[in-house]
Amino acid sequence: MTDFRHSNAPLEMEVYGYDRVVKSHCRGCHGGCGVLVYVKDGRVEKVTGDPDCPINHGTMCSKGLAAPRIAYHPDRLTHPVRRVGPKASGKWERITWDEALDTVAERILAYKEKHGAESVVMGYGTGRENEAAIYRFANYLGSPNVLTAGHFCYGPRIATTVITCGSNPIADYANNPACIMAWGNNITISNPDEYKGECFSQALNAGAKLIVVDPRLTRPAARADIWLQLRPGTDTALALGMLNVIVEEELYDHEFVANHVHGWEEFKARVAEYPVARTAEITWVPEEKIRAAARLFATTKPGVVQWGVAIEQQVTCADNNRALLALMGITGNIDVPGGQMLFRQPPIRNVSQFGAHKALPPEQAAKRLGGDHFRLAGNFGIINPKYVWDAILTEEPYPVKLLFFISSNPLMTRANAREVHVALEKVEFMAVADFFITPTAELADIVLPAATWLEMDYIGDFWKRHGWLLPRRKVIQVGECRSDHEMLNDLAHRVGQGEHWWDDFEQGLDWILEPSGITFQEFLKTDRLRGDVTYRKHEERGFSTPTGKFELYSTKLEEWGYDPLPQFREPPMGPVSRPDLAADFPYILITGARQPGFFHTENRQVPVLRELHPDPEVEIHPDAAAREGISQGDWVVIESPRGAIRQRAKLSEGLDPRVVSAQHAWWFPEKRDPGHGWDESNVNILIDNDYSNCDPAMGATSVRTLLCRIRPETDADRDRLAGVQS
Amino acid sequence: MTRYDLGIDEDLCWGCKTCEVACKTENGAPYGIKLIAVGEERPALPDGSLSFVFRLSRCRHCEVPDCMEACNFDAIEQRRDGIVVLDQAVCGGCEACVTACLYRAITFDRAERVAMKCNLCHHRIDQGLLPACADNVCQAHCIRLVGAAASPEGEIHDRV
Ligand code: SF4
Ligand code: SF4
Ligand code: SF4
Repeated sequence: MTDFRHSNAPLEMEVYGYDRVVKSHCRGCHGGCGVLVYVKDGRVEKVTGDPDCPINHGTMCSKGLAAPRIAYHPDRLTHPVRRVGPKASGKWERITWDEALDTVAERILAYKEKHGAESVVMGYGTGRENEAAIYRFANYLGSPNVLTAGHFCYGPRIATTVITCGSNPIADYANNPACIMAWGNNITISNPDEYKGECFSQALNAGAKLIVVDPRLTRPAARADIWLQLRPGTDTALALGMLNVIVEEELYDHEFVANHVHGWEEFKARVAEYPVARTAEITWVPEEKIRAAARLFATTKPGVVQWGVAIEQQVTCADNNRALLALMGITGNIDVPGGQMLFRQPPIRNVSQFGAHKALPPEQAAKRLGGDHFRLAGNFGIINPKYVWDAILTEEPYPVKLLFFISSNPLMTRANAREVHVALEKVEFMAVADFFITPTAELADIVLPAATWLEMDYIGDFWKRHGWLLPRRKVIQVGECRSDHEMLNDLAHRVGQGEHWWDDFEQGLDWILEPSGITFQEFLKTDRLRGDVTYRKHEERGFSTPTGKFELYSTKLEEWGYDPLPQFREPPMGPVSRPDLAADFPYILITGARQPGFFHTENRQVPVLRELHPDPEVEIHPDAAAREGISQGDWVVIESPRGAIRQRAKLSEGLDPRVVSAQHAWWFPEKRDPGHGWDESNVNILIDNDYSNCDPAMGATSVRTLLCRIRPETDADRDRLAGVQS
Repeated sequence: MTRYDLGIDEDLCWGCKTCEVACKTENGAPYGIKLIAVGEERPALPDGSLSFVFRLSRCRHCEVPDCMEACNFDAIEQRRDGIVVLDQAVCGGCEACVTACLYRAITFDRAERVAMKCNLCHHRIDQGLLPACADNVCQAHCIRLVGAAASPEGEIHDRV
C-alpha cells in the first residue's frame, strides 16, 4: 500500500506567511479534486491537493495547480463587454452588468414573442457544473433546445446506463478492483469523471490486472497485462467478440444472468454473430488476444471497465456503451464491492429536479431540434449541434435567432468548424459567458465575465454518480466576474421567471440540500457528504428499468424504433465504407487524445501549461512518415475532403502505420487578431458533421474516426494556413 | 549523515507532468526552462514489442558533482546534507556546468544568462517542508524525498 506524504498545511502557512487556507473543490476540468487554497493579502498564492479528499488523496493535476494563474491572467475578461464593430472586429466597449443582462433579457423576450421560445438556444460545453442551472433557465423559458456536448460526451453514458440499468455504474476503486479494463480512456491524464488517476494508480499498485483497449500505445497500455490495439471505430465489434467468448465458454455469472437480465436468448443470438475470427478481421486485434482479454476480464473478480468519452464520439456511440455495459453486467460486476457500483447521492434535489425538466410544456418539448430523429438523445433533452446550425442557416424547421453559450467554444470543439463559423456569423444575437474572449466569443454581441471555481460557492460534484458532495468555497472575487449560476439567477428575474429562482443564489443551494435537512452554510461546515453505500440493490429491488431487469435487450430502444441489441456498424468515413475516398485519403485519422495541462480549448494562454505543449502535434508512425517524407517536428498539412490544417509531426511507433492521431481544440491566444488562429490547426475543420456521420440514436458526431492524407508543409501552405510568419 | 535526493520510481510515472508544474509554480523558472522535465522513451523490446516509459530528467545531487568541479565562478556548492545548490546570484554565465553534467540537468536561461537547476527546494527542506514536486502532488506517488524520515503528518524530523 502506498504511503502518503501529506502536505503540511500549518507549516506552509507559517513558512510562507499565508493569511488563511481554504478547503475547496477544483473544477479545472470536469472536476473535482479536493484542494487547499492558500491566501495572502486577499490573493490566492497557491493551490495544493487536500490529503483528506477521497477522490484525489491530496494529489493534483497541472491544471488545478495552475488555477491562480488562470484566475489572475492579464487577458482575463473582468467586466461585461458589448461589441461595437462588426463581428470578429475585436472592437468592444465596457458595459455594466445591468446593461448586459437587460440587453440579453430583452432579446430573449423579443425572440420568444416573435419566433417562439425554441428560437432561443442556450448552450454549454464540458460544463462548469452549470448544466442544471442552464436547463432550469431554458425549461422555464419554454425552449427545448439546450446545445451541449451531451450528444457525444457523458450524455450518452447517462442515457444508455439509465435505459439499461437505471444509473451510471461507477468503478469502485476504493474497494480494490482485481481487474481493470481501460477502454478508450487514459484516466491518468484525462478527465475521467467521478474517480481520478490516483485511485486507478493505487488499484494497480495493489495488484489489479490491467487490460487496455486503445489504438495508441499509452503508458497504461504499455503497463497493461493485455493491450488490444484495435482499428479505430470498431469498439462495438470488439466488445461483442469478447462477449461471444464469455458466453461460449460459459464464463458469465450464471446467477446474475438467470435472475437479473432481460433478453438473454436474443442477446446470445446477437453475440453469436461475432465469432472471434470475424471480430479479429473487423478489429485488427489478433484472435488469441481477444480470447485472452475476455477470459481475464470474466474470471478476475471484481472487475471494472474504466470508460470515457472516446467511444461516445463515434457512430456506434450508444452501442459501444451498451456493449460495455453488457460486459460489466454478465460478468456479475454490477453493484458489488470493487466492481461497478450504482452509488446513491445523499438525499438532495438532484440535477434532474434542479434542471426543472418537468416545467417544459409537452408542446414545446415536441419542438426539440432533431428530437424525432435522434430519439435516445431527444428523450434525455439532448440535441445534435448541426440541427442548430441548420436552423440558423435555413430557418428550418424554424429559425434560431439567439445563442447563449456559457463556457462553450463551439467554433473549436464542434465538427465542421467552417459551418459553425458561418452559423455564428449569421445568427442575429449571441451572448457568451467565459473567462477569456475566445474565438467563439469574438463573434458574440455581448460577452459576460465568468467566475472560475476559486470565485464561487457551490455544491461540488452535485451532478456526479460517485455519491460524494464536496463544498466549493468562494475564496476571491476577480473584477466583476460572476458565477454562471448567479448570472442565470439574475437573468431569470429579468425574463419573468423569478418566481422559480431565488433572491440570492445561495437560497438555490439551500433548496438543493433541503431534503438532507441542512442549509448551504451548514454544508460548508462539513468536509463532504456521501450517500449511503449499499451493494447488490437489484437483489431486493431489481433495476430501475421498464422490466426491472438489467436490459441487455433494451425495451426503450425498441420502443423508439432502434435495434434493441448492440450491433457493429462501420465508421462512415473509414476505409471499409469509403474505399473511393481512401484512395486519396489513405490514413485513418483519430482525434482528441488528451494533453496534460489543457482542458479542451482552455489554458493555452497560461505559460506554465502551454510550455508543456507549445504546438499542436499529430502522431504518425515512422514508416508512414518516411513514406510521406515527414521528419520528427516538421510542420505538416493534414487534409480531409473538408479542408486542411497544420500541426507538427510527432513520430510514434505506438500507432498502427495506417493510423494518424491529431490533437484537438487548438487555437492561439497569443495571436492578437480576433481570429486567434482558430482555423489553422483546428481538427474540426476536417470533420464531417453530416447526420449520416452521427450515431442514429444519440446524434453523437463521429469526430474520432475519419480519413485523411498528410504531407510536409510548403511555404505556400504555411502562408495560406497560418498567415505569413516572420 | 542524511543525504537528500529525489527518489523517483519511473515505472510508476504516468507522464502527467504535474511535478513539472508544481516545480514551476514554486520556483518560478522562466518559460521553456524546466528544473524537472518529463520525457518519453519508446524502446523496442527484444521480442519485437514496444515499451513506453517516462523518464524524469532532474539533478541527481551527485556525490561527486561534475558541475561543481566545472564551474568557473564557484556558484555551485554541495551542502553537508548532499544537496547541490547552484546560486544564480553568483553564476557568471560561462555554461561550463551545462556541458559538465552527464545528466543534462542544467538549463541555461539565455535571456538572463544564468544557469538553472533543481536545488531540491532546499528553502522548503530547511523549513521542514517537502520539495514541491515531492509533496504528494504525484498521482502515482512515485516521487519522494529520499533521506528524510517523514511522520504521517509530513513533518521532516531528520533536519540538517
Ligand atoms: S484532475 Fe481536474 S479536478 Fe483534479 S486537479 Fe486536475 S483540474 Fe482539478
Ligand atoms: S507527477 Fe508523477 S506521474 Fe505525473 S509526470 Fe510527475 S512523476 Fe510522473
Ligand atoms: S547538475 Fe548534474 S552534475 Fe551537478 S549535481 Fe546535478 S546531476 Fe550531478
